[in-house]
Amino acid sequence: MRIKDLPDENLFVCGHTACPGCGVALSIRNAIRILGKDTSVYVPASCAVVFGSTYPYGAWKVPFFHTAFENTGACLAGMQAAFEKKGKKVISVGFAGDGGTYDIGLQSMSGAAERNDDVIYICVDNEAYMNTGIQRSGGTPFGAWTTTTPVGSKIQGNRTFKKNLGEIVAAHDIPYYATLSIGHPLDFIKKVEKAKSIKGFRFLHMFTPCVPGWKIDPAKTIAVTKLAVESGMWTLYEVENGEKKITHKPGKMKSVKEYLIMQGRFRHMSPEDIKKLQGWVCRKWNLHYKEKGAPEICEIELPEEHHAVTEEHREMHGP
Amino acid sequence: MFELRFHGRGGQGAVMAAQTIAEAAVIEGNYAVAFPFFGAERRGAPVLAFARIDSKKIFSKTQVYTPDCEVVLDDSLLDTIDVVSGLKPDGIVVINSKDKPEDIDLGKEIRTGAVDATSVALEILKAPITNTAILGALVKATGIVKIESIEEAIKRRFGEKLGAKVGERNALAARTAYDRTVVGKSKGIKKLETKKQWLPSYQEIPLGGVLVESRTEAGLIGPGSFIENKVFGWATFRPVRDKEKCTMCLLCWFYCPEGTIVRISDRGDLMTNYDYCKGCGICANECPVDAITMVRGKT
Repeated sequence: MRIKDLPDENLFVCGHTACPGCGVALSIRNAIRILGKDTSVYVPASCAVVFGSTYPYGAWKVPFFHTAFENTGACLAGMQAAFEKKGKKVISVGFAGDGGTYDIGLQSMSGAAERNDDVIYICVDNEAYMNTGIQRSGGTPFGAWTTTTPVGSKIQGNRTFKKNLGEIVAAHDIPYYATLSIGHPLDFIKKVEKAKSIKGFRFLHMFTPCVPGWKIDPAKTIAVTKLAVESGMWTLYEVENGEKKITHKPGKMKSVKEYLIMQGRFRHMSPEDIKKLQGWVCRKWNLHYKEKGAPEICEIELPEEHHAVTEEHREMHGP
Repeated sequence: MFELRFHGRGGQGAVMAAQTIAEAAVIEGNYAVAFPFFGAERRGAPVLAFARIDSKKIFSKTQVYTPDCEVVLDDSLLDTIDVVSGLKPDGIVVINSKDKPEDIDLGKEIRTGAVDATSVALEILKAPITNTAILGALVKATGIVKIESIEEAIKRRFGEKLGAKVGERNALAARTAYDRTVVGKSKGIKKLETKKQWLPSYQEIPLGGVLVESRTEAGLIGPGSFIENKVFGWATFRPVRDKEKCTMCLLCWFYCPEGTIVRISDRGDLMTNYDYCKGCGICANECPVDAITMVRGKT
């Protein structure tokens, strides 16, 4: 399916209250457009529940359900079981945030994956708890500022690297796991369609920038996503029945600094920290792209000195 | 006691504005408090902030219901919120508007200070963050503190958070707005009806809170009812598409977070529904042939 062939009908209506330029709203709208009308949605505590439905109003045109934070997997399994019992052909899909997947909902997601329940689990990953005011989650990248990983004189920003959720989920031997980016529409459509056609537990991992949390210009939501893929911070691949396949190979690797500079949450990063993060990205890049062709190996040599704060950066975010 | 109420939108800095006016009052040796009102709202949604200034200690902790001064950071709020409700008869409204006070209809004839703070902010700060500019206008219209004190307070508050250079620039924005503010009397023609709310009794609430699509006195409720929530007021800029240049690649249609770009399949054309455009600018930024430009103002 190409963009042209997508249906016109908007199942996530206009007038929702997401921030301008919201990456999550964009992913939800397009995912539900592809999944179609015969879908039932579960959303745990997250931005998506606030901007998508404020009782008694709602933006969803499909059945929508919400209870607690930690039980996306269990709720989806229950919904699907009820539909099967009633003999209805419905896709149960859950949109959980990174907090609701990496940290709080991990056990419930793991249970559903283990039982291979016939549901679609979508993680919209904006790399922190944005709904409650930007707290660190397991998905927060190294060096990022959040309110719980503040920038001080001794420690600047988050000290841990982003958790490799893909490996954790894929280790459940589920039929389908894929990473998606809203900056790559064709890849996005293909993967959601594929997930729709497969039976069993399917996990779609979406990379969705957050404008206030990342401190980016709302117009740059897509640009920053594309750069995340080109710099190796985000990798587009899928794991189908245990077999991993890279679905989008970026050209020459871009320096992670180009990605960091667009975002206010990284503006404090020291040369050592950038070097450390670049090292992590290079390892990840090599891990993903080594066997499957170009580029053979990370070509960027770590420069001796990085300048974390440039004039351009100051202009954008202040020193 | 001098009480202020700030009406703004998330991201315009109403909370910071309230804190800064309080700080300026403290610099002048007075007592002051400032606090926001929190809702489950996002950037661009209406927000409230309050401040109290007095020469004595302040013990009152409630929200401000009868302000002496009303500060409106965005004149599009006038269509949805009755900003002058509770305002004292000798009170004053400070408003961010392109119009002169005589042309602004507040539903009440009242002393009004007007300044085009959005233009000031775009000129000096390069972003439509109007809080510091409106503070300049506030000082000019009320004289509650001196302009020097507000500049000092801005430098302290913004400098501490965002660096000295940003502080200086914001102080300049306040000064510029101070010079441009016009004080006059507003019109009092329109009657704003408060939006009705759906308030069912406990017998009327459906079992388990389950709602189906239905229409009540207060409008639509249930699935898809957000369609009645017009969000055009959030935008500072609006996208305008050049049909000649457009190649119908549909990328803007795919990338629009609001779904406000509508495809009309049988005509093979696109249409932008400005009622729901929040002016994020993704479409203009991503258009491969630069057919979309962002234009200031209402369309």
